[in-house]
Parts: sequence; structure tokens; C-alpha cells
Amino acid sequence: MKAHSLLKGLVGAAFLFGTAVSAHAADTLAAVKAAGTLKVGTETAFAPFDYIDAGEHTGLNVDLFAEIGKELGVKIEWVALPWDGVFPALEAGKFDVVAGPATITKKRLERYRFTPPIAEATIAILKKAGDTTISKPEDIAGKKIGVGKATAQLDQLKEFSETLPTKVDVREYPAFTESYADLAAGRIAGVANSLPNIAFVASQRKGTFEVVLPPFGKKSYFGFIGLKDADHAPLMDAIDAAMLKIKADGRMAELQKKWFGASFDTPDAVKDPAF
Amino acid sequence: MSIKLFELLLQAAIYTVTISVVSILIGFAIAIIVSAMLLSRQRLFALQARIFISFFRGVPLLVQLLLIYNLLPAIGINVPSIVAAIIGLSLCTAAYQAENLRGGFSSVPAGLVESAEMVGMTPVQIFRRIKAPIALRLTFPALVNEAILILKASSLVSVVGVIELTRMAQDLAGSTFLPLEIFASAGLIYLVINWIVALAGGLIERSLPGVPR
Repeated sequence: MKAHSLLKGLVGAAFLFGTAVSAHAADTLAAVKAAGTLKVGTETAFAPFDYIDAGEHTGLNVDLFAEIGKELGVKIEWVALPWDGVFPALEAGKFDVVAGPATITKKRLERYRFTPPIAEATIAILKKAGDTTISKPEDIAGKKIGVGKATAQLDQLKEFSETLPTKVDVREYPAFTESYADLAAGRIAGVANSLPNIAFVASQRKGTFEVVLPPFGKKSYFGFIGLKDADHAPLMDAIDAAMLKIKADGRMAELQKKWFGASFDTPDAVKDPAF
Repeated sequence: MSIKLFELLLQAAIYTVTISVVSILIGFAIAIIVSAMLLSRQRLFALQARIFISFFRGVPLLVQLLLIYNLLPAIGINVPSIVAAIIGLSLCTAAYQAENLRGGFSSVPAGLVESAEMVGMTPVQIFRRIKAPIALRLTFPALVNEAILILKASSLVSVVGVIELTRMAQDLAGSTFLPLEIFASAGLIYLVINWIVALAGGLIERSLPGVPR
């Protein structure tokens, strides 16, 4: 009885949860090469890294992983999930690496492994064009500010909020695109996201949005994320090596220019992030 | 809103319809088995069917989908997004459909069955000629209703990575900043699909044998 055994499977899975080990082959690099496909998880609501442009999945990640795929000799298969579902699915082995990207933080480094950084992730504020009530980051005190749920930007915004005379009214969104829509509709006064993201949004929607400079808080970087265990080490080593090669021969800077309008100077690895 | 955007929504709608139809059919097949177990004189079968129904009717579909997608790999079954979506929707609808079928079968008038026994029909004949047509007739409106519910519930499967109509609308609204036009179009597409399902259901219902009007 199919239904019954499935139910048993589910119950069994519930008991196994927590003690379960990854059902992956021991060496993920070998498995990826054998399959000829590198599975990459992401959300498609984080322009300019990953977004849908009139139905086409596009962005820096798509271009950069195309290069990584060439270096490894494999095809790239994308899996798009809501951001808060990406990390559980990575741990469940639904894909080999997360494109995201994610801000490299101390907490995340404890659990995950990061590739070399691909961009600066320092946080800044996006406001409605012509909003004179916000001219510097401190002006968001007491205002409604949108930010992505389960993001490092949320933590950075909260930390900044503590330093202000009136706390920020933080509004969490499942995806940043929804917060931009609410900003455009006037439901919130600003969106806190990393500078490359909001600079891109502002450049796409001139006359609708403006960036509030300077960025605030501590300097941080974006990287791609993989699992820390021994099984995934050869794969992550290979991706790191491919990315450093792409960075060394100038392809990375070219892609940054294409998507951010400027190239960034990023370290080869972030071992001790600021927060 | 451009024609191109509307086309993209229609393409995503095909995904929505395909996933829903496949899930309804698989769910119906499972429901037949589960309802038979429910009505079985074997206590153990009935109990297992009850547990199945309690679980899939009692846990929110969103949670079921996340469980299937993220928990099955822990026991070595790593299913792709689309399969996880169909398993989730099928099992959920099976639980509801099984209850509907049970209701249908237990509503077959005992007098009819007794009469059939009196004229010497075998149990198989009674099932095929009396019980099944009447039960199907009684449960058909509920089945159409369930199909419509699943079509709408399929908007949840984007949590496991399937880009269906709702998710496509969200993506497009996010990149075009035209949420009003895009969500209105998506709503209209859902409405038309479900209107067609209801209409077809009504036509089929009238052609069914069984209880006369």
C-alpha cells in the first residue's frame, strides 16, 4: 500500500531527523563530475545577483556560475527557493552550493563554508526619490524600514537601530523585492540592504528610488555558501580555486562592472568577519 | 502590462494546471484504497487509514510540503522539487477525498443493497451496479470542489522551488514594479481555470448514471 508505506517513511524520517547523516555520496566533487551537473540553490529576488528579468533568470550569479561551470567542466542547474528555505534545503542535500549570495558573518561561518567574496555587502538605505526627511543613515530613527527576513542585513539594521535615539520600526519581508514594492507604494520609508543591491535597484528605477549615502555599520562581504563537512570539502575547494582563477584573470572584475557599474576590491577569503 | 508578461503568466499557469491535475488523479487513486481501508472490517486497516487521514488533513499543506522536501532526504529519498510538490498535493487531497468517498459509500441506502441481494446479485455485481455508481454520484460534486481547492492550493508549492502561477506573478511583480496589473492578471487566470473546471464538472455530473434527478 503506497500511501501507507509513505506515511511510515515520513514518520521514520521524523525520528531520524537530527541524527541523520547526509545521504550524499562520500565525495561530492566526484558525484558532481559524474552527474555532469552542479546544482545551485538560490532565491530569484535579490537583484542584481539573482532576479527574473521578464521571465528570464539573470544576474551576476548566473554569469559567474556559468564561468565556474566552465572551469569545473559541468553544467549548472538552478533551484529557486524562498530565501528562508534555502539553508534547510542545502543541509538536506537538495543542491550542492547556494548562490544567494549571503553576507559572510561569524554565526554563518560556524555552520557553513564560504567561497571567496564576490562583492562588498556593507549595508545602506534606499529611500523614495525626493524624500527630504532622510538625508543620512541616522535619519531613519523611528521610521518604518523594510528588510529581508533571515538576512544578515536584518541583524545589521537592528544593531544600528540600537545606536539611535528612537528605534527603527523594522519591517521584515520574505523577499527584498516585496519591500521595494512597498517602498514604491509609500508603505515604508526605506529599505535596508547592502549597497550593491540598492545601488542597482536605484539605477533601474531612476526617479522612484534614491540611495542614502554613506553606507553604515561595519564593512562586510558577500560570498557563496556550501557545507562544511569532509564530504563537501573537495567540491568547495574546486569552486574556490575556480573563483580565484576567475578573479585573477579579470573576469570577476568585468562581471562586477557589468552588474554594479564598478568593480570592487575584495579579499581572497574572509576568515574573521566584523560581526 | 505587455503581452510578453501575460504569456509568461500563461506558461506558469500550465504548470499549475499540470501539477494539480496529476495530483488530483493520484490522490483519487490513493483515496479509493484509503476509503476501502476505512470501511474494512479489519480493525487494523481502518486504524491505519484513520492515522493517514488525521495526519494529512491535520497538518497544514505548507508544512507537509516542507517536510517532504527537506525530511525525505534524511532517509535517503532525495526527490526533485516537482516530485515533492506532487507527492504533497496528492497525499493531502487523498486524505480529503477518502473521507468524501467514505461518506458516499456509507450513504448508499441499505434497502437498495438488500434488494440487490434478494434478487441474487453477487457482492461484485452489487458493488459495480449499485454501490459504486451511487457513491460516485454522491461524491462527484465534492470531487469537483476538491479539484478547485487543489488548483488554488498549488500556489503553495513554490516553497519547494516550483515556479507556478503565483510564484511567477511574484517574480514578475518584483522585477517590473507592476504588482497591481500582474496580480490582477494572475487572479483572472485562476478564475478562468476554476470556472472551466466547475463547468466541466457540472457537465460530467449530469451525464453520470445513478440517482435520478
